[in-house]
Amino acid sequence: MNELTIAMPKGRIFEEAYELLVGAGYDLPKELDDSRKLIVEAPNEKFRFILAKPMDVPTYVEHGVADIGIAGKDVLLEHDRDVHELLDLGISECYIATAGLPDTEMDEVTPRIATKYPAVASHYYRSKGEQVEIIELNGSIELAPLIGLSDRIVDIVSTGRTLKDNGLVEYEKIADITSRLIANPVSYRLKQQRITELVDKLREQVGR
Amino acid sequence: MTIEMFEKPLGMRDDFPLIAKQKANLRKQGTQLIERAGYELLQTPTLEYYETIGKISAISDDALFKLLDSQGKTLVLRPDMTSPIARVAASKLLREKMPIRLGYYSNVFRAQKREGGRPAEFEQMGVELIGDDSLYADAEVISLAWDILKELGVGSARIVIGHTRLLELILADFGLDAEQSGKVRELFVAKNGVGVEQLAKELPIAEGKLASFLKLMQATTVADWKRWINEKNEEQRELYRDMERLEGLLGRNGLGDAITFDISFSSHMTYYTGLVFEFYGAGSGFPLGSGGRYDGLMEQFGLQVGATGFGLRVDRLLESVTAEKAEQPHTLILFDEQSEQHAFDKAQQIRNAGNRVTLQYAPAVKALESFTALFTEVIRGEELRNE
Repeated sequence: MNELTIAMPKGRIFEEAYELLVGAGYDLPKELDDSRKLIVEAPNEKFRFILAKPMDVPTYVEHGVADIGIAGKDVLLEHDRDVHELLDLGISECYIATAGLPDTEMDEVTPRIATKYPAVASHYYRSKGEQVEIIELNGSIELAPLIGLSDRIVDIVSTGRTLKDNGLVEYEKIADITSRLIANPVSYRLKQQRITELVDKLREQVGR
Repeated sequence: MTIEMFEKPLGMRDDFPLIAKQKANLRKQGTQLIERAGYELLQTPTLEYYETIGKISAISDDALFKLLDSQGKTLVLRPDMTSPIARVAASKLLREKMPIRLGYYSNVFRAQKREGGRPAEFEQMGVELIGDDSLYADAEVISLAWDILKELGVGSARIVIGHTRLLELILADFGLDAEQSGKVRELFVAKNGVGVEQLAKELPIAEGKLASFLKLMQATTVADWKRWINEKNEEQRELYRDMERLEGLLGRNGLGDAITFDISFSSHMTYYTGLVFEFYGAGSGFPLGSGGRYDGLMEQFGLQVGATGFGLRVDRLLESVTAEKAEQPHTLILFDEQSEQHAFDKAQQIRNAGNRVTLQYAPAVKALESFTALFTEVIRGEELRNE
């Protein structure tokens, strides 16, 4: 009963996290990500990886079907899941910001905000004392101000390239985002030794 | 959205026969142990006033089911059992009998905002020991919870113990004021190591003490706590001695290996003022139950007495307990007009022997094959007539 189930987002975060784990001395199979399998075993370390959508990782971990997981802080902020946030892995750095067309003010009566992060956006504007209307979109958020759907957007910015290409400017930064190592509260207690060991090894890697 | 005929409110569940039976077994085993330990079982009303239980319960306001009575007073469906029992214990009738030991097995209600996976109504079983502020009371309730977990067969069960007051004192020694200490404890509840590290940079902690502060979340034994205890502070010294004694008491009760003493462990339930603990087991991704000392809650009912107790969540215990597969014998007797009397007699005979029988008028069964498959033995009427 020593197997550790790890929920990982597919794609870029997976590759960076994979490098971290290998750097920390874990013996993982070479090609972990290039199959279409959703569950991959690393028998030498008794790891089982669940490959998931980034937004879903905290859900798996909260329900305990994965013991630990790697999730972006943006997802953790948006979904407020009951998980332990053990370590900042320092990978996939970016931030959440508000953006819009240059030199514009928000509508005074009904300011509208388009976003993929309704909870983050709502919390941010509320803390500023502004009541706004949130419009939830699933992608290409930058479109919203261009076609008059919203005054501002709240979205992830990594290089700022997409904003620039679409003639948008950044207004306020809301929060810095990196990927975090998260754990299910029960797994943390029942497999504390293995998990703490993993945290310590990864912390050393991150410090480099 | 129209409601379809088969739908139930969010978080409400049907207990199908198998689950209902498992729950009944669990209830029987659990309450038996509770009674044997000298606790008396009681029931409190499903509805309580919002002004009293609703506010005192420490369950967040938006998780309460609220309704109005005919006078326009706000009522709640009881969200926990500890506060109603505190109310009962504070009543005149029981005051003279302190210390009192009360146990319960009841359903409680907490509204769910999010998607499924969490019930809005679930059973809790637990005890409250009111009027005893000694360590023996704490050791008694922890050991009783442990006995229940063992009796039910929960795998790799673990108990995590912390101390709210001692943590408060230690944080004050790091130079934190009440507000900063509150923020740190909130992060500790969520075991948010990243948040603690970030916050530590803004706190007025002396440079030499920072490493020690960041280690607070790693303690697993009472001995680990010693490094943070200020021997010059009498209260800290006393509380630390108490923890050592508690560790000894629980060790003698055979719980030693199953306990993690985590000084950073704390609860979001604000009425826990001293010892706090939580139970875990394999099979459920959520804690099986929790408890602690809640002298502060009793004070709200105008009583200056010590109180301690625990509650276990039956829905999560069910996930953790490996269901018994061994089938009980269950006979089906299919009768018709001619064999009716024989069938009745036969059924009575089997029932008197303490076994289960279902009597069924055969022509009323539509799908005979799938129906008979539910039973371990099938007797047909004509067989009885020929006997």
